[in-house]
Amino acid sequence: MLRSVLLKTLRDQRRSLLAWATSIVLLVMMYGSFFPSIRHMPSMNDYLNQMPEALRSMFALSGADISTPTGYVQIELLSFMGPILVILYAVSAGNAAVAGEEDRHTMDLLLANPISRTRVVLDKLGAMIIGILLLTTVTGAALLLSGPLFGLTVPAGKATAAMLHLGLLGLVFGALALAIGAATGRTGVSRGVPAVAAVLAYMVNGLAPMVSWLEPFQTFSPFYQYVGHDPLHNGVSGSAVAVSVLTIAGLAVIAIWGFRRRDVLA
Amino acid sequence: MTEAPVIRTEGLTKAYGRRVALFDLDLEIEQGEVFGYLGPNGAGKTTTLRLLAGMLRPTSGRAQVLGQDAWRCSVAVHRRMGYLSGEPALYDRLTGREHAAYLGFLRGNVAPKRVEELSARLTLDLDRPSRELSRGNKQKLALVLAMMSAPTLLVLDEPTSGLDPIAQQDFHQILREHTDGGGSVLLSSHVLSEVQRVADRVGVLRSGRLVAVERLDELRSKSLHHVQAQFSEPIALEVFADVPDLVDLGVSDNSMTCSAPQSALDRLLKRVCQHQVVDFECVEAELEETFLTYYGTDEDRGEGGDHAA
Repeated sequence: MLRSVLLKTLRDQRRSLLAWATSIVLLVMMYGSFFPSIRHMPSMNDYLNQMPEALRSMFALSGADISTPTGYVQIELLSFMGPILVILYAVSAGNAAVAGEEDRHTMDLLLANPISRTRVVLDKLGAMIIGILLLTTVTGAALLLSGPLFGLTVPAGKATAAMLHLGLLGLVFGALALAIGAATGRTGVSRGVPAVAAVLAYMVNGLAPMVSWLEPFQTFSPFYQYVGHDPLHNGVSGSAVAVSVLTIAGLAVIAIWGFRRRDVLA
Repeated sequence: MTEAPVIRTEGLTKAYGRRVALFDLDLEIEQGEVFGYLGPNGAGKTTTLRLLAGMLRPTSGRAQVLGQDAWRCSVAVHRRMGYLSGEPALYDRLTGREHAAYLGFLRGNVAPKRVEELSARLTLDLDRPSRELSRGNKQKLALVLAMMSAPTLLVLDEPTSGLDPIAQQDFHQILREHTDGGGSVLLSSHVLSEVQRVADRVGVLRSGRLVAVERLDELRSKSLHHVQAQFSEPIALEVFADVPDLVDLGVSDNSMTCSAPQSALDRLLKRVCQHQVVDFECVEAELEETFLTYYGTDEDRGEGGDHAA
């Protein structure tokens, strides 16, 4: 596990990845166990429909029927908790990648070796991609394996598509943290800016249907790429994947360019 | 290639915003040489070393290390250079052996035997996580990591800080073997006494400027001697007026005190002998003091404890 920067980075994360994965499995199973009681509560949909439209829109409730497995997963897992967990992991990994290593003063030790800064950024990004792949796979597997116990059966293909888009959503904000950290070396901004950006993107996507001046911005929100096309019903959206991947690649280029041109902070 | 200097900087300058940390440094270090880089804290030593290690981007000028640009070709340079940073940070959870394995893989040319040998000589336990190591042992581990790939050039920022005297001796012995094998060393320090044991040449840095570069043996010929003489009758200051390079000359009643460089001793003694001497004392000063006399500011020589320690 110490044969490259990528493997070393995953090794550093092994405890935290295990903790994230465990909590996600527990969360999915907890939500699943609530499903049998909620699906037989006809008043639940009425209650949700009575909520202010803004609130329903924010939680991606509009159009989802909580008494169906797909609608339930969409509302309980994909609209809020799923994105929060994946983005939190991604931003902390992106922040730790360059700025975090500098903050702990170990960057001099690492870069004293014959390894380029480009390689360091790419390895750390690779480790983040693998970490997110692991978390979304665990989430999807927990959903598909434990869901049927509670009558919560969603099509495997659609669930996989949703996990793909969830992973890309996390990666966008993780890559943003990586880029800011690599360009500045400062952990404060590389954590703070992506967190604020994620909240704003979430709000823009949620409120755009109701607030006319926000509407033009909706398609720019990573949350729109994530759920705008309703992956649990419609599967993978090629264009949404393309936009996400290009965003991540663009941020990676900025990270490399930013890191290569500046001083390593002592 | 063999004739080219191992390190050559031309007009190397580094500014942080408006603060100039290093100004217009021209420095050459030859193959097989140990160069001691001296100066008080904040003089720009670490800045210079980090420029050479490719961690910092020069504001202007350039630095060539092993024939290649330290900033643009840092990967190629690092293949043949070992670097110890000023306050070495390690990975808390990794043991010494794991550090050596990880960085060894990144370097690609580390013999595990060399790691064992170096740590045995420095009496370092490789099996403990670095967060449990004392400051001195952390320093030893960082030194082993910098030297384990047997690089041609060692750039070491305050290498002996935190080391006990025995470990310092072992380290100096390792350095000697390194230069015997044709290797070169640039090491920084803020105390001359430490550098004088290993360096062939010393450079003195003050407020970002290189104020002197001297061979250590030449510096020794300038070494100050504290001279005290008691005469049987009162003596006049003018007696010693034409002795060159005397420092702190003072005369009171029957006695004279002064500090004289080695080169002035002959003239001074001849003056002294023209009078009847009751007592005479001549003690060689620490090299440190000699150094500060020539290159220090007045504050450095002041009585107060404000030495750049």
